[in-house]
Amino acid sequence: MRLKMRTMEGLYALLLLLPFLFTLGVFFLYAFLRAFYFSFTDYNLFSSPRWIGLANYLRLFQDPLFLTALKHTLAYSAIVTALQTFFALLLAVALNRPLRGVTFFRTLYYLPSVVSTAAASLLLLWLFQRTGLVNQALSLFLARLPHLGTLLALFLVFQGAQLAWARHRKEAASFWDPASATLSFLGAFLGVYALALLGLVRPLEVRVEIPWLPTRATFLGLPYPLWAIILMNTYTTIPTFMVLFLAGLKGIPRTLYEAAALDGAGPWVTFSRITVPLLRPVLFLVVTMGLIGTLQLFDQVLFVGGSGGAPLESTITLAYYVYGNVFPSGAQPRVGLASAAALVLAGLTLLIVLLQRRFGVSERGWS
Amino acid sequence: MLPRFWARLAWAYGLLLVLGVFFVAPFLMGFLASLKPDPLEWPFRLRFAQVSPKNWLAAWGLGRAGSGDPWLGGMRPGREVALEVAYFVPRGQEPGLSAQIPRRKPGAGMGAVFESPYAADHVRLEGPFLLERRPARLGEAEGEVYRYRLRLVYPAGEGPFLERVPLDLEVERGVVLVGATLDPTRFERRGRVASWDNVVPGLLGYVFHNYVRAFRETRSLETGESLFLRWTLNSFLLALAKVLTTLVFASMAGYALARMRFPGRQALFLFMLFSMMVPGQVTFISNYLVLRDGIFGLSRLFGVETLLNTYTGLILSGLVGAGAVFIMKQFFESIPREVEEAALIDGATPLQTLFRIVLPMSTPALGALAILTFQGTWNEFFWPFVVLTSPREIYTLPIGLLSFRSAYGQVGDWGLILAGGFFSMVPVLILFAVFQRYFVEGVSVGALKE
Repeated sequence: MRLKMRTMEGLYALLLLLPFLFTLGVFFLYAFLRAFYFSFTDYNLFSSPRWIGLANYLRLFQDPLFLTALKHTLAYSAIVTALQTFFALLLAVALNRPLRGVTFFRTLYYLPSVVSTAAASLLLLWLFQRTGLVNQALSLFLARLPHLGTLLALFLVFQGAQLAWARHRKEAASFWDPASATLSFLGAFLGVYALALLGLVRPLEVRVEIPWLPTRATFLGLPYPLWAIILMNTYTTIPTFMVLFLAGLKGIPRTLYEAAALDGAGPWVTFSRITVPLLRPVLFLVVTMGLIGTLQLFDQVLFVGGSGGAPLESTITLAYYVYGNVFPSGAQPRVGLASAAALVLAGLTLLIVLLQRRFGVSERGWS
Repeated sequence: MLPRFWARLAWAYGLLLVLGVFFVAPFLMGFLASLKPDPLEWPFRLRFAQVSPKNWLAAWGLGRAGSGDPWLGGMRPGREVALEVAYFVPRGQEPGLSAQIPRRKPGAGMGAVFESPYAADHVRLEGPFLLERRPARLGEAEGEVYRYRLRLVYPAGEGPFLERVPLDLEVERGVVLVGATLDPTRFERRGRVASWDNVVPGLLGYVFHNYVRAFRETRSLETGESLFLRWTLNSFLLALAKVLTTLVFASMAGYALARMRFPGRQALFLFMLFSMMVPGQVTFISNYLVLRDGIFGLSRLFGVETLLNTYTGLILSGLVGAGAVFIMKQFFESIPREVEEAALIDGATPLQTLFRIVLPMSTPALGALAILTFQGTWNEFFWPFVVLTSPREIYTLPIGLLSFRSAYGQVGDWGLILAGGFFSMVPVLILFAVFQRYFVEGVSVGALKE
């Protein structure tokens, strides 16, 4: 009787799982195994696959385009993950205060994350045109350097004066005191305004016209168009991870901070000794998710390339290399080669996840 | 001294505001640029014709006069439109104003292919009539302001509906346009020619000029219907179908994984996690072939040779994602077991328990999953891009945007490209505005709940 119950339950489970098993079996397991098989064959989608052993893998590592794609993918992944994790953490810590209206701002910051990669890519293309907003913003910034420099100098002067005054009156004073910083800032602002009115501080004449996209020029070993994609994608993914960090920060008991404050710990000590260690699981999760996501960069490459855009060698990634070999324009599909490249991509991803698990990620770090 | 409390608050809100500007400004600027005739102008101005209420009123009025439609404008036979312009003429010079309705194609790229009636063949231009002359100054220069009226008359009788009536006004060198009922779209030849792309635009046609163009100019070569509209509909239908299948099948699978005992349960769960980590580029080759052959030839039973370029194929290949199953499983595990045990003891089958008891309790999770699935499908690019290649009528919006990019990128028609991009954001932005809690929490639902 008991056995029968068990069997019944198993059958029901099978029934409930059927659609999922269909998707998982046909469109994942079968596909994965087939990709594995294809990677050892010569196959062009039409004739039947011919076994050639490891030749594809050997060819892959002799193909300069593949090596470029590999380099781009790894560099892009490392840079974007580092940047987005760092800034997301910074933002989350800054936003994790009991301020009125902070939820509104959180929601506002999340906005760039909802947008599709297609729409974001179009925005990227527009922003990084020769007369686009990025070059205009850079020009404005450089032209106003005298103002900014004066602002900073005046701020430091005022702040120093206030500090000296407080010391003189034997009061406790800190450089970071918000009240005196506000006064100094306002003073410096008015000072710069007055100097600008008097014509003593003048904007420089700068016009930055960096061709971000249609170029092969490189910066720090990476092409300009890839940098443009890096900047844009960091910008759109920061908010997602910020939300994850915020959820993690909520889980840290306030009492820990209070105890630290009683022991006289400063903000840096609190951050490095309490916040970061307790955020470790979330940190690992964010890094893993970031790496997995960035390794698959594809859409932006397609959008940024094309007519009037970036040359392919400047933006190609592994994902694009795979696609480009399955559907090359005006050539036979090289499915075997593409499968081998795809498996390299998958191998990289799995390696990262395994490394993460190896170095202390708990179960929470998965998915 | 300033009270510390207020100073700290000021810095905190200052920081929030600066970050807010940082995260929203590029989108806001992009949106404004999508309204401009020239989105790449340098320097970028925040005040331009399309954001001025004076022009909104004028566009409304002109649109109504031209066709009776104040929103989208146009011109019908038997209608008449009047436009007033004012020129500053330096002393000792004549304005030498000449006006004409140019024969101009409505656009570049896909829009240029279609034969559309020229307004110049149907509309008669009357004027310019001088209304007024009065002395005036413009900066240093002295001179006079001339005010003119132009009448555009579409004689009654047979004639096509004109979507747009362009207008060019040319003057002598040194003469400056200082006012017009409706500000011109652009100036050519060092400001001597003021050009209107459409003098009967209607309110939407004027402010959302590029958006209207996206719908009107992106048309199918065979049927002439609006491709952009079609892509939007396709995206909607696909997203709705995906939401439905995901909700049903993910809760079924999630329930089995969360509550039922069967051999290989743990292994299946681990395998599911594994499948979530493998990039789509690994599996898409085989999936492409599977759809090409009609899922092992099974689709031939329904008389369908191949599932490529069909929505059936797209839906079947993504019936339920592992991520969705994961979210539902996590949620079901958080429901107390006692609730279902009562039902099971009363003799309900697991199916009845799931659909009658557990799912009605799961509306928050189902809601979040629905919204995330909708957003995910609406934004998805790679897989639809592989499956849907021809004809262009079957594209989804993101793929359509790519064809936009290739059609208009070369000619630098950024207004149209940006308009397409921003239009594609609208549904997700509305969803986000209404259900932002789900979006913001949704990321952490699957990730942080143990």
